[in-house]
Amino acid sequence: MSDHENDFSRRLFLKGAGATAGAGALSMLPIQMAFAAAFPEQNIQIFVPTRAGGGADRNMRAFTSVWKNHLKTNFEAGFYPGAAGRVGYETYMGKAKADCYNLIFGNMGPEVLNWVVKKPTFDLKSFLYIAQVDQDPGIIFVSRKNKKLKTIDDIVKEGKKRTLNVGVSRLAHPASLGVLALGRHTGAKFNLVPLSGGRNTRAGVATGEMDFGALPSGSVVRKQKQFDIVAVFDKTNPLPDRMKKAIVVNDHFGMKLPPLYAGARAFGIKREAIEKHPDRYKVLTDTLQKVYTDPAYKKAVIKTKAPWKYISYGSPADCEKYVEYISAIGQEYKSLLTGKS
Amino acid sequence: MEIDWGLFVELFARTFTFWWVILPAILLGLIVGAIPGFSAANTIIILLPMTLAMEPEIGLIFMVALYASSRMGAGIPAILVNIPGTAGAAATPLDGYPMTKQGRGQQALAISFVSSVFGGLLTTILALLAMPWLSQVAYHLHSVEMIVIMLFGISLIATIAAKDTLKGLIAGFFGLMIGYIGADVVYETPRGTFGFLELYDKVPLIPALVGLFAVSEAFAVIEGESILTKRGKEAMQKAGWAETWEGVRLAISRWWHIIWTSIIGLVIGVVPGAGAAIASFVAYQQSKTFSKTPELYGTGHLEGLVAPESANNGVTSGTLIPLLVIGVPGGATAAIMAVVLQYHGVAVGPDLFDSQPELAYGAFTAMAVTYALMILTVLPLARYMSKITVVSTTYMAPIIISFTLVGAFVPRAYVFDMYLALAFGVIGYVARKTGYHVAAILIGVILGPLLENYFLRALRISQGDIMVIFSSNLGNIMWVLLIISLFVPMYLDKRRKRLSKQAIPITTDC
Repeated sequence: MSDHENDFSRRLFLKGAGATAGAGALSMLPIQMAFAAAFPEQNIQIFVPTRAGGGADRNMRAFTSVWKNHLKTNFEAGFYPGAAGRVGYETYMGKAKADCYNLIFGNMGPEVLNWVVKKPTFDLKSFLYIAQVDQDPGIIFVSRKNKKLKTIDDIVKEGKKRTLNVGVSRLAHPASLGVLALGRHTGAKFNLVPLSGGRNTRAGVATGEMDFGALPSGSVVRKQKQFDIVAVFDKTNPLPDRMKKAIVVNDHFGMKLPPLYAGARAFGIKREAIEKHPDRYKVLTDTLQKVYTDPAYKKAVIKTKAPWKYISYGSPADCEKYVEYISAIGQEYKSLLTGKS
Repeated sequence: MEIDWGLFVELFARTFTFWWVILPAILLGLIVGAIPGFSAANTIIILLPMTLAMEPEIGLIFMVALYASSRMGAGIPAILVNIPGTAGAAATPLDGYPMTKQGRGQQALAISFVSSVFGGLLTTILALLAMPWLSQVAYHLHSVEMIVIMLFGISLIATIAAKDTLKGLIAGFFGLMIGYIGADVVYETPRGTFGFLELYDKVPLIPALVGLFAVSEAFAVIEGESILTKRGKEAMQKAGWAETWEGVRLAISRWWHIIWTSIIGLVIGVVPGAGAAIASFVAYQQSKTFSKTPELYGTGHLEGLVAPESANNGVTSGTLIPLLVIGVPGGATAAIMAVVLQYHGVAVGPDLFDSQPELAYGAFTAMAVTYALMILTVLPLARYMSKITVVSTTYMAPIIISFTLVGAFVPRAYVFDMYLALAFGVIGYVARKTGYHVAAILIGVILGPLLENYFLRALRISQGDIMVIFSSNLGNIMWVLLIISLFVPMYLDKRRKRLSKQAIPITTDC
């Protein structure tokens, strides 16, 4: 190869490279401008104030696996279970930018109830729940190996003879409130034993250390071979096929309890983010509503063995209403939940 | 349950064909296990997209192999640089690290690998064969019985304190006090948190662990040129393959010790919520109790290394039993495995034995095959791994501190935990310099909160009746065994001393 040829090819290469770089720079310009206006242009961070591997994790992953297609971005989840959710809300979500790129995925029932019992240092009003994802009622369940307690009537009858130990996730929990209310109404004596989470509660009931347990139904309904759900704190039995033995507490005992949704998971955001970026907020809410009707979401939920029937969209107004009403019940039973009665 | 030997043979053969999944998982597990703060549980979460893309059976084999190998990996830094990778390896450096200082790091690693593999393999096979019976353990070990098991572990403080009772007990009680920081399990009332939300859920274990052991060690070693003693250095320079084989031979010579301490791990692992940390401390305490040379523990004693390593690998198969038999995971990793399988549409529980036996039994065969392949993979590495100990402390100390601070951060992703590790490092350093026992502090920090949990739960169940701790027959038997295991060694020790005193004049006369 001659020097000339070398020169030529080098020049050609430089020309080509220059042209490519120029074209690239030009082509990037409008794209960057378009990105500046578009939302989202980066991943969305989700703060989960519970442990990885639990119901919230399952629920959040199923939802975001479909939402990402509508929002055209990915989600990054971080789990901050400390201090009954306060670390997630206060330390992490609290310090995150109010730019609509940071969301929290909380469980309105137990978290709000906890804050009634122990006032947090942050202002609850600084967050807004923007979409409720599910509605999972509190239930009472027994181990299938329990030979004495097979139905809710057995439980109440036995509870009138002796104090029964009830495994619960924590004291300040909608399902725990249901048990307290039932005991107060029927005269049965129930001793709530907090076992720190659904897994430990199921273990307590399965191994016979607890007489029965109270949890969100979703946490037990997948374990039909081990447990029988015998009562539900809702208006109706939402899953008659899967909770065949479950009576509706209000109907059975003539009580007037409001539905106690022990699982009421919802996405939340800082109010400041909505005020600063209403356009972004609109993109978020518009796309997330599409998820509920997307067949892929139903498929994802069913795959996790969670009941599809519990999935229901709750608007920000619905969420606010729920927070108010769970706060009111918490206030009513505050003394029992704090051991001051 | 009838044992279907044909199915087992078929499953073992089938699992071996997945060597291409198991070997990378072993390597990954060894690495994440060796890095403080990382664990099988958080690695499985990180790799969730990958495991979800796999077939359920392959995903399960991958997770099981990762789980088993990470347990062994945690022992490596515990032995070589006094950094237990997880709480389950917290008892490993008690005798492993002194061996390293003496230039016997290679032997210590080989002993640890052989004990882990044989302990793990044996308990996996036992778990597979005796699953219906072993699962019954969880029905009998309730809060009251667990209180006694915790006390078995905590009583190690007393044995550690034997040389300097006052300082040992002060260190132990100091650890227990730290362990009680945080919200109580019943009313969630925060105690001693100094307003830090980060301490609300108790003092996190990994920062305490790496701070007390590793950071304080880094502070201490920087005062010298090497972590090795002069004799240790010479021994390391001469070390070759023979040292690895010596380690293997020594471990095999304690085959009976491996068997019974790994069974302790298996039984404790079956109880949901109990874990490798409890098992390894209880095994260490029992090993010392029944030893003919208890005074050698803590000085680089072979059995002091065999016991915790066999026990914490015994726990691994144990935690799968409650998951598969009663549908309740025995530990965090088992819980995450269950979640991954749920994504695949596999409901984990007793039904699995009927619906998908290749998965239910396959979890155990995968674990057994992992252990079998692991020894071949890891043993040749002992020689090279142990070379890290000859690195000058000028480089070693900053590396240890950097690694441990990252490790402290990883489990909760709280920057606060890095400061906490440093604070524990200072506490550990002061303790070392003043002759207090770091291990006694750590036992209090690890087992104290667990003891409190079970104690408060028992009190809650009995509605405040303290006598509940003597309310179960099994519990009462265990109380008696605890008392025996505490006082018999004291009696034997006195007897030994008396006999040796009597023997001296005879020898002199001769």
